[in-house]
Amino acid sequence: MHLTENDPAGKLVQLGMSAQRFTPRVSLAPPDGLLLEVQGSLHLFAGVAGLRGALLAECLRLEVRPVLAFAPTALAALVMARAGKSLEVLEPAQLTGQLAPLPLSSLRWPEYTVARLARMGVRTIGAALRLPRAGFARRFGDAQLAMLDVLTGRTAEVRVTYRAPERFRRRRELGCELENHGLLLVALAPLLAELGDFLAARDLGVVKLECRLMHRHAPPTRCVVRLASPATDVQRLTALLGEHLSALELPEPVRACELAAAALVPHRPESESLWQPGERGGSFGKESCDLIERLRARLGAEAVYGLTRLPAHRPEKAWAVAEPPSASTHRAQPGCSADSAPARRRPVWLLPAPQRLSVRDGLPRRRGPLRLVSEPERIETGWWDGDEIARDYYTAVDIHGVHLWVFRERAAPHDWFLHGVFG
Amino acid sequence: MGSSAQLARLLEHPTIWRGASAAHAEGLASGFAALDACLPGKGWPRAGLIEILVPRFGSGELYLLLPALAALTRARCARWCVWVAPPLMPFAPALAAEGIALDRVAVVSGARPLWALEQALGSGACDAVLAWARRPKAREIRRLQLAAERGRTLGVLFRPRRAAREASAAVLRLGLAPMSAGVRITLLKGRTAMRGAIDLALRG
Repeated sequence: MHLTENDPAGKLVQLGMSAQRFTPRVSLAPPDGLLLEVQGSLHLFAGVAGLRGALLAECLRLEVRPVLAFAPTALAALVMARAGKSLEVLEPAQLTGQLAPLPLSSLRWPEYTVARLARMGVRTIGAALRLPRAGFARRFGDAQLAMLDVLTGRTAEVRVTYRAPERFRRRRELGCELENHGLLLVALAPLLAELGDFLAARDLGVVKLECRLMHRHAPPTRCVVRLASPATDVQRLTALLGEHLSALELPEPVRACELAAAALVPHRPESESLWQPGERGGSFGKESCDLIERLRARLGAEAVYGLTRLPAHRPEKAWAVAEPPSASTHRAQPGCSADSAPARRRPVWLLPAPQRLSVRDGLPRRRGPLRLVSEPERIETGWWDGDEIARDYYTAVDIHGVHLWVFRERAAPHDWFLHGVFG
Repeated sequence: MGSSAQLARLLEHPTIWRGASAAHAEGLASGFAALDACLPGKGWPRAGLIEILVPRFGSGELYLLLPALAALTRARCARWCVWVAPPLMPFAPALAAEGIALDRVAVVSGARPLWALEQALGSGACDAVLAWARRPKAREIRRLQLAAERGRTLGVLFRPRRAAREASAAVLRLGLAPMSAGVRITLLKGRTAMRGAIDLALRG
């Protein structure tokens, strides 16, 4: 089968998956070829004509316009299809005769080889087959000769069978309508157990689990669990799903539930550590992944984050929210973090936005007068992106002894603002 | 010889290691010699919940902990240092300047600080967890203390000064008051004979 699309790669996989219903032995020939071993299926589809019709209907559904060719060898069928001929050759004896008039270019040999053969007057497959074998191999390489042998069926071809990536989707109708979150988890338990067996049998881990709860009238409620690392452990999945479900609002009682594992990845079991986590270099990767997942399941993904520094002088832009730290024990020189620290002291706490302070006698006040205890530090930057600041920062102490980071605008009204707190 | 005495002799055998002896292992140096001298275990406990009671936010309570946190996060196989429900945003450049490795710091915000704190303490993924909780009940603090021991984590709970009247299961309770150039620390509870106040210079 040859796909005559502009961008056949995506369609090829899609077609490869749906072609599994015609035969279990499907092989992809990228970028544009699909091979089916259909000898065993001919009877089921009432011969070549019936199978051709069924295949064309399937292609039509996927909006693919293919050239279908049937031949005793896989390569011959592919070459015929690539030459644009939808031939049906069922007898091995007829194969060479049918291949003979096809142009050499449909073999997809290197261009210079085809050009050299063309200069010798060899333009068709038949002409190439008539050349002496020893001389052909010497001049054009063993690979090309071997391909001709495979083409005519003189030697067998080994092809890799395409297997569609596996998915897990199970549904369970409930005997009664459930409203209780705890009972929902009980109802889902058989599906989760099935998922556990499914994963264990295939050595797969799941990174995204979707649970759909069906109601009588309302549209299904979706609940998606994303995992920080591939999970195979049913208990862990059950605990996480429980957290997600308890945060869910059900519009109506649940009548049926469905569990689908969308993203499956090969699972590599971790070796257990001799030491406790954090003790003598014991890894705590599993614990930290569990913690992040549990916190995020209950509080939302954005509630857990790490911090990072940015190289900027404006205090607001000198930091950013980052992904939570990874638990890798290989760290980039943990000791050298103070190298590019600002020369001046910074407060441990920063306000989300500067807060205007009232002023009396030219000095700022907050629950009483503030005492300035440091030399001013001028931060004047950002003129290039329209977010310009020009401020004089001071450390101030309020009447309770709390140290604050305040600044005075250098622009006209010279207002005072509170920007940080020294913990 | 009584059976208890026999048992005691058996337990003196050098190849027998008892979990209770680890609990009395040396503490985590706070970075202040005067404070270390007063604390049980000569430092902050490595596993357990401590409370720091402050008259108001920003009295210097964080600077009291920063040297210890810096040492924890920069250790070779450091676990995480988690900040649960901080009242303001921790300012990353300042933390880095104090020597804290930012790749070991995680912040958890959200609606349920006590629950998140218990999860973090008990997970075994953290060396230290700092938390600002509004009004924890005595029963909840007991749970937190147990979780901290389970996860071998130092839990620090910042509470207002008036909480000193309530009972607490924390292993250590410190009261803190800002001074002109530092803080005055009062030991409210702890397995130590030391009583009274210590003055520390914090802000260089």
